[in-house]
Amino acid sequence: MRNVLLASAAITLGLSTTAQAAEIYVGHLADLTGATASVSKPFSAGVADAMNYINSKGGVGGTKIDFETVDYSYQVPRAMAQYKKWTSEHKLAAIQGWGTGDTEALVSTVAKDEIPYFSASYSGHLTDPQGKTSAKAAPYNFFYGPSYTDGCRGLVDWAMADWKKKGGKDKPKFVHMGDNHPYPNAPKDACGAYAKEKGFEILNPIQYSLKPGDFKAQCLSLKESGANYAYLANTAGSTISLLKSCETVGTKAQFMANIWGMDEAGLKASGEAANGIVWVVGAATWNDDVPGMKLVREISKAADPEGKEERPVHYTRGICSAYYMKEAMDMAATMPGGVTGANIKAAMYKKANWVPAGLEGVCLPSTWKADDHRGSTQVLVYQADVKGDNFTMHKVHSVELPRRPEWLGW
Amino acid sequence: MITSSLIPCGQYKTSYAKDTTIFDTPVMRAWAVVGVLALIAAPMVLNNYYLSLLIQIGFMGIAALGLNILVGYTGQISLGHAGFFGFGAFASAWLNNSFGIPVVLAMPLAAVMTTFLGLLFGIPAGRLKGLYLAIATFASQFILEDFFARADWFSGGSSGAAAGPVNLFGYELTGDKGFFYVVLFWVVVMFLIGTNLLRSRDGRAFVAVRDHYLSAEVMGINLTKYRILSFGLSSFYAGLGGALYGHYLGFVSAEGFTILMSIEFLGMIIIGGLGSVAGTLMGTTFMVLLPEVMEGGVGIAKTLIGGDVAWLAEGLAYIKQASIGLAIILFLIFEPDGLVHRWRLIRSYWKFYPFSY
Repeated sequence: MRNVLLASAAITLGLSTTAQAAEIYVGHLADLTGATASVSKPFSAGVADAMNYINSKGGVGGTKIDFETVDYSYQVPRAMAQYKKWTSEHKLAAIQGWGTGDTEALVSTVAKDEIPYFSASYSGHLTDPQGKTSAKAAPYNFFYGPSYTDGCRGLVDWAMADWKKKGGKDKPKFVHMGDNHPYPNAPKDACGAYAKEKGFEILNPIQYSLKPGDFKAQCLSLKESGANYAYLANTAGSTISLLKSCETVGTKAQFMANIWGMDEAGLKASGEAANGIVWVVGAATWNDDVPGMKLVREISKAADPEGKEERPVHYTRGICSAYYMKEAMDMAATMPGGVTGANIKAAMYKKANWVPAGLEGVCLPSTWKADDHRGSTQVLVYQADVKGDNFTMHKVHSVELPRRPEWLGW
Repeated sequence: MITSSLIPCGQYKTSYAKDTTIFDTPVMRAWAVVGVLALIAAPMVLNNYYLSLLIQIGFMGIAALGLNILVGYTGQISLGHAGFFGFGAFASAWLNNSFGIPVVLAMPLAAVMTTFLGLLFGIPAGRLKGLYLAIATFASQFILEDFFARADWFSGGSSGAAAGPVNLFGYELTGDKGFFYVVLFWVVVMFLIGTNLLRSRDGRAFVAVRDHYLSAEVMGINLTKYRILSFGLSSFYAGLGGALYGHYLGFVSAEGFTILMSIEFLGMIIIGGLGSVAGTLMGTTFMVLLPEVMEGGVGIAKTLIGGDVAWLAEGLAYIKQASIGLAIILFLIFEPDGLVHRWRLIRSYWKFYPFSY
């Protein structure tokens, strides 16, 4: 036993030393086994497939991106430990991250280490690079898409229009539903304030776990509260269980899910329980006829040669996240010092309203400024139509939210 | 002198001091000192990856020793050790962030705070035994977990708390190298205290409570006092381990201290050896290294097969978890006395080679 231990320890030592020859190293965190795995799997596949594709086309300025995908099971301490491990073994050019808890926990550290952090967390707290209006500056955090708060505001806009269209007389009632966790909590206060401003009555939030389970108790509270619009802040896995439970209980509220709250697999799994649900979509969907989908399909095909996979919305956003980073690296490669964290950050500010080359129509045009990291404030709201086993999704609302200064970092 | 390395056959001890000595022979003491000296020199040779493993073994080992005092020596049971571990981490970060107490002082202070919490949660132990006590401590685990997620003023709620680096004489210890010495200092101090505690009257009282509580009471040992005291002591160790963990990671998050971690602590002391100070360290080392070795094993398999094997990479998380479970089961069947027993067998084998009896 001892010999086996020693031998494998020696071999891991050998492996870890050979890996240091890399030039552009990107750490890639994913949740493949944790509470948010159902949406992290397609997203991280998008990121990884895109980076592999970039490498097959010559990488960044002739250098291949060396990356390692690590499953941290959505546990902040494991992400922190992984970050320590990466920074002690490599010179990181950037990180493709995942959850809100870990991303927010690392904000000050990546700023100190000058490592651009492209997260799949769109928490509003990450949008204030200079700490003007929020407690904590996040100068090295970037994400592609509308923030959770802006997404929720877009849904609130849609809900008000929907309420008026249906001839509602009184104040509509709005409720926030989600786990007590950094990710569902991120838009809670800010979006509630906006809904209040828009004329909603705000009810007490209802808590349901990020881990799928039986949520009939929560559905009964929802029914009793008389809410008209319920914002679901969790990811698709637990939202499916909630929709199923609420179908049994027979709630009448209109469900509105955040950007990670629904996808094609979720619609398939929930069946008619998901009929009529609206949610935020942050990029083109698989069957959209836009020029950029050609590249998305090629990237997908490189990883899945038979070309059978129909990729969900998160996959495409993963590609966008990787390609914004890639274009910034391309620009950084021409700067003095090359592809360093500080140069990538500077490169992110160079263009305005840009879409990575080849992804036209897929990624939303985005602008990052040195004092404003809200890449895009455009919110696309989709609605699902489910009949039996068939579902369709169509755009019902599109809004470009104003960039109010007091909303920065909220 | 042959007596410097061998223990004579038969009972030659003529005083209590000789009977309760920590090291049976001078050679063993010398080896322990050499071991500590080697660890002091370790950061010069080892890279950060190995240092981080040693640091983990350090703070987990301190907490596991606390649990061993409670479970192995006093014969109580606790399924809530991770809760106290977490409390220490949050308390130290809180003392440092809210009151500006330097981290070096905040860590032992947090351990003292955890002690009081442990005394409080230990009160049921005065009345409960066995499975009933297990469930009572299980409750403390859930109360604390929920407290961490909600007490915004103390733990930062669900978004967690930042834990500053150790600052010594105006010099900030940020890297693993600096922190390694902090952990090593506390490991040596806490293990010495642990060993010496068991040579004292109170330590013997713990063992008496474990071996036969009725006889212990007849001998004049206050059962309630010693059971609760044992909880307090074990919490002190847990709190200090947790504080070191928090400042090492730089961030404390409510979700890290689950029941699974409590079970892992139990696993460490069962694998290492219940009621053994040295065994605690061995069990912790085993549990910390096991997942790393598994990861290395998957790496070797990858190079042998020559490519990325999807199911192997994806299954890694499960392999790691399953291996811990498997290790506990195998130890319970084949080595119920833990690694420390196996180590003694190996040692005596070599000592008496080739005439082992």
